[in-house]
Amino acid sequence: MARDFADRDALIAYVAAQFPDAAERDANVAPVRGGRAAAERRLDAIRPREYAWTRNELSGDVTRLSAYLRHGVVSLGEVRTAAIDRVNRRGDVRKLIQELAWRDYFQRLYAAGGDETIWEDQEDWKTGFGPEDYADTLPEDIRLGATGLPCMDAFIAELRETGYLHNHARMWLAAYVVHWRRIDWRPGAAWFLAHLLDGDPASNNLSWQWVASTFSPKPYVFNRENLERYTAGAHCRTCPLLGHCDFEGTYDEIKGELFRPMPWDDASAHRGATNGKRAARR
Amino acid sequence: MTDHRDETIGAAPDEAIRNAIVWVHGDCLRPGNPALAAAPGAPAIFVFDDALLDDYGTTLKRLVFLYECLLELPVTIRRGDVAEQVLAFAHGHGAERILTTPSPAPRFLEIGRRLDAEIPLTVVPEIPFLAYDGHLDLRRFSRYWKVAQRYAYGQAGLPLDEDEAPSRARVDGRGGPVG
Ligand SMILES: Cc1cc2nc3c(=O)[nH]c(=O)nc-3n(C[C@H](O)[C@H](O)[C@H](O)COP(=O)(O)OP(=O)(O)OC[C@H]3O[C@@H](n4cnc5c(N)ncnc54)[C@H](O)[C@@H]3O)c2cc1C
Repeated sequence: MARDFADRDALIAYVAAQFPDAAERDANVAPVRGGRAAAERRLDAIRPREYAWTRNELSGDVTRLSAYLRHGVVSLGEVRTAAIDRVNRRGDVRKLIQELAWRDYFQRLYAAGGDETIWEDQEDWKTGFGPEDYADTLPEDIRLGATGLPCMDAFIAELRETGYLHNHARMWLAAYVVHWRRIDWRPGAAWFLAHLLDGDPASNNLSWQWVASTFSPKPYVFNRENLERYTAGAHCRTCPLLGHCDFEGTYDEIKGELFRPMPWDDASAHRGATNGKRAARR
Repeated sequence: MTDHRDETIGAAPDEAIRNAIVWVHGDCLRPGNPALAAAPGAPAIFVFDDALLDDYGTTLKRLVFLYECLLELPVTIRRGDVAEQVLAFAHGHGAERILTTPSPAPRFLEIGRRLDAEIPLTVVPEIPFLAYDGHLDLRRFSRYWKVAQRYAYGQAGLPLDEDEAPSRARVDGRGGPVG
């Protein structure tokens, strides 16, 4: 295949012509550039101390190295070295190194267990529902970012346009798909893999399973307060659904509405709640 | 297939490296790719795996990203069935050995077996994130981390934090919970 292109537009036109199916599925091109030079610019910009304080915020100092790490444009060891070079004590790199280790951990699980580990439930669901209760296809409104929930639709647009989402946005969107819409994690995971530049079967699928509860002791949920806090109100402030969106309530209220009681739950969380009301609404 | 567990390329005879081609795949797209480094100047190939791209419903942005990575590498770019393309390329260069780098993907192993059945394949190891070969309990991240954290800082001679010394002692001792 060709190697000489006048500029990026020429490259994009060529790739789109060579892979028309991929372009037809979604013709967006990410602003992020591939290649070592671009990766090194990101490597030079990492700030391990700020990372530790701000990584959960959508505007936080995350590295955005994931696509480069996924494709081995940089190695985990190189990121570690770059991080350590910028600090004087372990405590200042601990958080970043631990996140790098998550990648190593997931890759090891994949190497040990293959497709079975990443595409099959690792454990039972802990939502009070069984696998048969979850839909096995992703509805169009989710695929197209037309759910009517401004925050979710914004995340979906970003996923499609840039091939990147902040970790917290991935968690919220995955939780919305699996728990609020009661869709199996597999179609959700496959959808992410089609769009993410860092799409990695191990990190992605096992994270979806972690949200779902098939690879964790409990399902992951969030509420509006949590989303508002880590997005600095970007979506909630102007949201027409403010005060009555699907994510309002305390964690106990939300769990009470989304899940059936599990043996270890505090029964009071479910008092008066119609189980599955929120999911059934859509 | 030669795996890094029983042979590293450093031990391979010189002619083997002279008559080798390098198969670059999507898990190691850096100029310092150890297989490229092991055979400087050897012909190298990358193949877009058409069936895989279809399976994953890959979208354009990912392909553009990959293509930009490839343009910085000394590789011939092809597409189609990966094993067929790599073998044709190897035969075209009269290669007696194929070098590549590791991947955990089952598909990589399957392609590797097909290559190795015709031309010996050597998987040149990457420097692992953890310089540790022993047992790691992978049931939960916390169990993995209990051991991995001892190696995760690499060779760095960074001083421990004040709060770290006891927690390390605990872990190194009888494997208490991770603090
Ligand atoms: C539902 C869901 C799907 C995900 N899918 C993927 C995926 O396909 N590919 C992928 O690389 N990550 C995935 N992640 C993990 C994480 O969200 C991304 O690695 C991270 O957001 C990438 O941004 P960053 O490079 O700025 O990360 P940083 O926070 O700067 O972290 C540095 C690097 O550490 C690694 N890392 C950080 N957090 C994690 C984590 N939780 N799990 C694994 N590795 C981590 C990544 O390689 C990342 O580039 C997923 C998470 C969730 C909740």
